[in-house]
Amino acid sequence: MKRLKAFYVIAVGLIFQFAPLVARASSGEGLDVPEALNHKVPLEGLAGLSLLFSKLYNENLWLFAIVCTVLMAVVGMAIALVTDVILKAMGLETEKIEHRE
Amino acid sequence: MDLSMFNIYLPIAGLHFNVLILLAIGFSVGILGGFFGVGGAWVVTPALNIFGFNMAYAIGTDLAHIFGKSIVSTRKHGKMGNVDVKMGLLSIVGSVIGVEVGARNVMWLTARGMAGPVVRYSYMILLFGLGAYMLYDYFTKDQRAAKAAARAAAEGPEPPPQKKGWRTLPPMIYFPVSGVRASLWVILFVFFLTGWLSGFLGVGGGFIRMPALIYLIGCPTAIAIGTDLFSVVFTGAYGCFTYALKGRVEIFAALIMLCGAAVGAQIGVAAVKYIHGYGIRLLFAIMIILAGASVTFKQLNYTTLAGITVMGAALGMCLVIILLMVQGVRKEKAS
Repeated sequence: MKRLKAFYVIAVGLIFQFAPLVARASSGEGLDVPEALNHKVPLEGLAGLSLLFSKLYNENLWLFAIVCTVLMAVVGMAIALVTDVILKAMGLETEKIEHRE
Repeated sequence: MDLSMFNIYLPIAGLHFNVLILLAIGFSVGILGGFFGVGGAWVVTPALNIFGFNMAYAIGTDLAHIFGKSIVSTRKHGKMGNVDVKMGLLSIVGSVIGVEVGARNVMWLTARGMAGPVVRYSYMILLFGLGAYMLYDYFTKDQRAAKAAARAAAEGPEPPPQKKGWRTLPPMIYFPVSGVRASLWVILFVFFLTGWLSGFLGVGGGFIRMPALIYLIGCPTAIAIGTDLFSVVFTGAYGCFTYALKGRVEIFAALIMLCGAAVGAQIGVAAVKYIHGYGIRLLFAIMIILAGASVTFKQLNYTTLAGITVMGAALGMCLVIILLMVQGVRKEKAS
């Protein structure tokens, strides 16, 4: 069992090591051309969060990608927690179900 | 009422878009995702594209919202005991290797100018074939059960089928959540195959993995859905990151869709409690046959009709799921 767990950990680690290769192969050459990465967002007339994200997009795509991924995860988890609380308050608590076909 | 008051400017994609459309797309795909255990890229990407998103932005934004939505659905399915984490982690290993091989096959075909038609025809064969098989399975289930009962009455109870040959190649692993015992190599091969199809067809692969878990590994339907969503969390995270790195995620649109999807996912997951295994399979079969029809229209260059078909199918299916759930709740309260 311990060996199996170690296998899972190593396997998942390796996947994330090789993930960029997979993405490059699956996304094709078109997305790697310089024009695609050089796209800039015009900042005139923007304010607040729009300006903040657009600036980040224009200045550092790596940071933009990390922020996007983390933000989606955080918002996803927050929504899951909030809806759990609301549903519980409404008496619609989620519970284990019986599996039948 | 003037709906243009709900228009907002999306700076990264560089277009004005109606918030209500984004919420509606998110809501409908949330229901489908929570109910069928799929990411729903085959619905959202064409929908965003039809409403004005450039294709690369449509895919990137879709993947970002799928990531957030799958976290919401997986958490709820986890609470219902529908996620087999052990199998989900193993699925990632086989799937990623399969995606790599599938993607390389596509590049090989692209170099020979054959990728487009080969991929589209494979898509059609797969969707129509799988849909037809699931319909056959659904409509013959009573007949098969009656035959088995008659045989049992005549000859006594049938011994459980013995797994032989390569299917018992060690190490054998027991998955207590799913209640199945399978060879590690069989699991890896099944997920390699589904990963290969997903890399070859350029989709997330949920609609292939969910039936594969049921028919090839023997998982109960609800666990197949939860475990598939667990895998989607990982593929969605990577998809979101890689497309954002290429500057093709409209983060505001993804967040708005996520809000709609989160509400939809609650309904979709809750519906699994009221519609049982074979009922889910029937609805899934109808949905993928309609998706196959949409791909056929696209191959015949009826792009708008293809988009309308897939969006219409998604909205119609949402309505059916909500109605069946309401019916289930009423029955439960009455009893």
